[in-house]
Amino acid sequence: MTTPEVLAAEADPLLPISSAEPSADPGRRRRGGGLAGYVLIRMLLIVPTVFILVTLVFFLMRLTGDPITASLGGKLTPDQLAERVHAAGYDRPVLVQYVEYLGDLLRGDLGTTISDNQPVTHVLTQYGTATLELTFWALVVALAVGIPFGMLAARHRDRWPDAVLRILAILGYATPVFFAGMVLKLVFAVGLGWLPVAGRASTSSEIAFTDLLHPSGIAIVDAIQLGDPSVIGDVLRHAVLPALTLGLLTGGVFLRLVRTNMIGTLSSGYVEAARSRGVGERRLLRKHAYRPALIPIITVMGLQIAMLLGGAVLTETTFEWKGLGFMLAQYLQARDFVAVQGIVVLLAIVVAVTNFVVDVVAALIDPRVRY
Amino acid sequence: MPRILTRALGPLRRSTGLQRGMLVTGLVLTALLVLVALFAPVLAPYGFNQLRDAGGPFGAQQHPSGSHLLGTTVGGYDVLSRTLFGARTAVLVIVVAIVASILVGVALGLVAGYFGGWLDRILVVIADAIYAFPSLLLAIVLSIVISHGQSQLWGGILAAALSITVVFVPQYLRVVRAEVLRVKTEAFVDAARVIGSGDVRIMLRHVLRNSTRTLPVIVTLNASEAILTLAGLGFLGFGIEPTAAAEWGYDLNKALADVTSGIWWTAIPPGIAIVLAVLGITLVGESLNDLADPRLRRRRGLRRTAGAADDRALEPDGVPRMTTTKSDPARAGADDAPAVVSIRDLSVSFATDDGAVEAVRDVSLEVRQGEILAVVGESGSGKTVTARSVLRLLPENATTRGAVVLRSRDRERAYDVASLDHAGLRQARGTDVAMVFQEPSAVLNPVYPVGWQIEEGLRAHRRLSRTERRAAAVDVLRRVGIPEPEVRVDHYPHQFSGGQKQRIVIAMALALDPGLIVADEPTTALDVTVQAEILDLLRRCRDEFGASVLLITHNMGVVADLADRVVVMHDGRVVEQAPVRDLFRSPREEYTRELLAAVPSLEPVTSARPGAPAATPVPNSRHRPQGSQAQGQPAIEARELVVTYPGRLGRPGATAVDHVDLTLAPGEVLGLVGESGSGKTTIGRAIAGLTPATGGSLRVLGTEVRGARGRALRAVRPRIGFVFQDPGTSFNPLLTVGDGVAEPLVVHGRAANPAAARDRVVELLESVHLTAEHARRYPHELSGGQRQRASLARALALEPDLVIADEPTSALDVSVQARVLELFADLHARLGFACLFISHDLAVVDQVADRIAVLHRGRVVEEGSPATVLRRPEDPYTQRLVASVPVPDPVEQARRRTERLAARG
Repeated sequence: MTTPEVLAAEADPLLPISSAEPSADPGRRRRGGGLAGYVLIRMLLIVPTVFILVTLVFFLMRLTGDPITASLGGKLTPDQLAERVHAAGYDRPVLVQYVEYLGDLLRGDLGTTISDNQPVTHVLTQYGTATLELTFWALVVALAVGIPFGMLAARHRDRWPDAVLRILAILGYATPVFFAGMVLKLVFAVGLGWLPVAGRASTSSEIAFTDLLHPSGIAIVDAIQLGDPSVIGDVLRHAVLPALTLGLLTGGVFLRLVRTNMIGTLSSGYVEAARSRGVGERRLLRKHAYRPALIPIITVMGLQIAMLLGGAVLTETTFEWKGLGFMLAQYLQARDFVAVQGIVVLLAIVVAVTNFVVDVVAALIDPRVRY
Repeated sequence: MPRILTRALGPLRRSTGLQRGMLVTGLVLTALLVLVALFAPVLAPYGFNQLRDAGGPFGAQQHPSGSHLLGTTVGGYDVLSRTLFGARTAVLVIVVAIVASILVGVALGLVAGYFGGWLDRILVVIADAIYAFPSLLLAIVLSIVISHGQSQLWGGILAAALSITVVFVPQYLRVVRAEVLRVKTEAFVDAARVIGSGDVRIMLRHVLRNSTRTLPVIVTLNASEAILTLAGLGFLGFGIEPTAAAEWGYDLNKALADVTSGIWWTAIPPGIAIVLAVLGITLVGESLNDLADPRLRRRRGLRRTAGAADDRALEPDGVPRMTTTKSDPARAGADDAPAVVSIRDLSVSFATDDGAVEAVRDVSLEVRQGEILAVVGESGSGKTVTARSVLRLLPENATTRGAVVLRSRDRERAYDVASLDHAGLRQARGTDVAMVFQEPSAVLNPVYPVGWQIEEGLRAHRRLSRTERRAAAVDVLRRVGIPEPEVRVDHYPHQFSGGQKQRIVIAMALALDPGLIVADEPTTALDVTVQAEILDLLRRCRDEFGASVLLITHNMGVVADLADRVVVMHDGRVVEQAPVRDLFRSPREEYTRELLAAVPSLEPVTSARPGAPAATPVPNSRHRPQGSQAQGQPAIEARELVVTYPGRLGRPGATAVDHVDLTLAPGEVLGLVGESGSGKTTIGRAIAGLTPATGGSLRVLGTEVRGARGRALRAVRPRIGFVFQDPGTSFNPLLTVGDGVAEPLVVHGRAANPAAARDRVVELLESVHLTAEHARRYPHELSGGQRQRASLARALALEPDLVIADEPTSALDVSVQARVLELFADLHARLGFACLFISHDLAVVDQVADRIAVLHRGRVVEEGSPATVLRRPEDPYTQRLVASVPVPDPVEQARRRTERLAARG
């Protein structure tokens, strides 16, 4: 079998293991199943993934005791504490609480935070957009770095451009996101003063946003709504350092991913056959080798969403970018486990759905699944 | 100990250039990390939680100075000391986390991969769910659970380590599981199962050790990930209390606020420490991964050629003299035709780790206008390298000497391919010379329609409009015999059969109407009935398209069918060249003579000639054993045997064997022939208990095998020997050949351990013409033929009543095959076992079998003696099959071809 997945023969250790294991899902990329069947099966796989994570997180969290004692223990008298615990139903058997929790979850009710008494869903919608914006910018940086430089490295395999790019990618991997963020901040914000130190927009822009009838919560969209170039510029300037911090980390991984898969397809029989017919090297790279390599690249990029979100938590904390990651760190400090659990569940759903979408996109590109 | 040392240094010695630089840097940095961790108390000027010394408190956020080289933190600690002590915490966490995750992950992966089933499914779904989740968040949740988020030294380290462990376990599980699944399909695991080894023995002795080769790489990479996760936890406030241990992430968290006010010295040192530690470990892992496999494999290849000499019964004495073409009167008439390509004194060598290897030495040959020239030779003869040098399609480590003069299609120009620049080479490829490859499914790009791929050649060389290109693609598809080309032009490669794919590959070569087509083993990957059609098509390339053909093949039948003239190559040199009829009638060189003699042939079977009297049924009792075993119960008795492979996700399964009746008498050799997908291998596997029979009845040596398990099977197994197709994989690469041959003896209690079985092993090896010395070698140090003989020895170790040989000679060169077959016949005559001989090669089966059964799509279509089945077949499929086999005799083959084409109309 010479599917492109298999052709990614040269395993890259820094890439997720699943990229080295071609058929992660049973029944996948099999002929005869049809696209609709594949999509359906793949969609059904979201359910166990989310269910397992929700269950895991629920029971792990409950192992530490009830959320109210965790958050307010020491601040209230034992009697008051017991009363609050009883009122919230945390003194009932854990299984009863679990079933009730699942029921609430299905209705979209994630409870109320303990530290600031807000519905968790409200927290998620309020801060989720900021995280969405950060991951979007980071993804733009990552793709802009990863794909062209990955192709370049593959083309000049084992020569100096490849060596330099590989070393940079390893360096990118070895630098913790928050440290990279701190160094960028130290140099470009504190030292040179070119860019703002933290936040999503300056105070004047934030005030301008309050005039909007339908604020989207996404700074750049709101700035465009306002139509004020200075606000747009301000928002973009704020996004540069966080996007670079998170994007370069992911970009390094994308670079390696593209390089590995391109090297695989570049040494394949069909590229050699095209070469034997006089097709030029550039066209070989951009058409014959790139497209088959794209399928595993897209699949593995989907798995990188998890890494991106984990990095977002650290990046947001570094740049006081008030998104879910930043709030997660805040709630962790406050020991507000209801809020923590809510955020973790949302991220689990996001990861599962993104992976589904990515797999379907990969399947759409692959004619062996389409026909 | 020294052995461990040399093994550890192995990667370093094998590395070169950049790789060595990376590895050395990585090793130095890693060593530094460990040394700092060990000697932190000596190296650090202060303790990690020291706030004051004799001179009073250090003070917060002090600039670097003589007493505090890197200043102090916001909490008033010495930065340098905390950075150095941080290495201790990091190393401790790495060690605990990795040991724990290996123990759990490897065990789970082994069980999941080996047993499969629902347990596997559940483990994989859970592992996937955990794996898809941001690992840092999971670690946070776990560290809340384990330590409530803050803790003292051991509590903190354990919390961090265990959080990291849970994140890593799914990775180990997946890697080991994937490896186990790979190893499980290798023939040596089947071999162990056939021998009758239990699951635990197979898992520990054969699977586990072969599944852990990627672990060193994963371990190093997880070590770096552990440092990063630990730092991330610390940065988010889930680290270890500063009074309990120094932790880089925690210090960076505290330094975050400093950065805004321009205080750099609290952030940079711990940050750099993390970067260096992770960089060091990652570089080691990265280099190990680079070095681990491919190079080892290449070395094995080289060693194998060293042993291969032993295979060659036909080793020519000294260097074969090249028969000069000039002295050959038979081809005088063709001399006038101009050469399309003329290769002069071509030498090609490859730079390898062990110095230059010469693949082609001073080869001269030419292909004339309208001629089909076949280059034949066994593996390693240099024929493929010679062919590829015509298009200069050689790997980068190849060095070429000599000239390859190619004539342009219009015959106006002739040029040396070796001296072309890049643009000239591109111009030549496709227009003046095109190539047809061996494996059609590998040379078609799976994600583009075939029409697009044909058009690529046109796009590269001609200015045509979109519609013109498409019309040209449709036209060439029609000419190579693809039905409905207007529709099929938009189809993707996977929508075509193997034979059609090869037609498309030929269409691509023909699209630009090149003067020369180089065809490298164009039919080797195809079934024999398809092969006949592709050979016809190649002949049409010459007859109708006017292309000359340089044909590379190892198959003498193909040569006899297609070639006008033949070049025989051996060991990189041209041994002989002659017109095809001359070569087969009167080969000049000893090597050619022996090569031709080694080719098994259906040819003596001339009785199939119409009108000729039916050949007297030869009493095919060549190997009939004398005496006892001839009577008694049959070795195999299959009645209405059905084997169905389960379908996926509720889809109907595939029926590989469909109501087959077979009987094998004691001492008899039954040849089971058929094309790919006919079910012949499945029958063999069902008999050996490797694949369950799903219907009918299957009695093996008197025991019903269908539905049998455990004890019943174990009682039969020692009486069955199995010889596998690929000698490369049927021995566990980590056991010596002697230990491998001893396996059945040990498993069935004939010997306590391999050492005790030594005498018997040597005796067995000698019976297959190997020596005690071979017993000490590892499988990769033997040649293919030697391994297949060792495989025979292992199959015969318990003196079985039944031997199943599944394509035992298909992977071997003809001369080696001849020797193995001879040995087989010998042993059979001596030991008198019954044998099911599975092969796709009718000529081989004809040579060894007493009786032949022909399988087609899971059913037996014809059964009988070789004399009837191969000479006077009655079933239409068998007739077609027999007619399709090219015989190594140009005269006879020409007659057969005419007959076959006439029969087809």
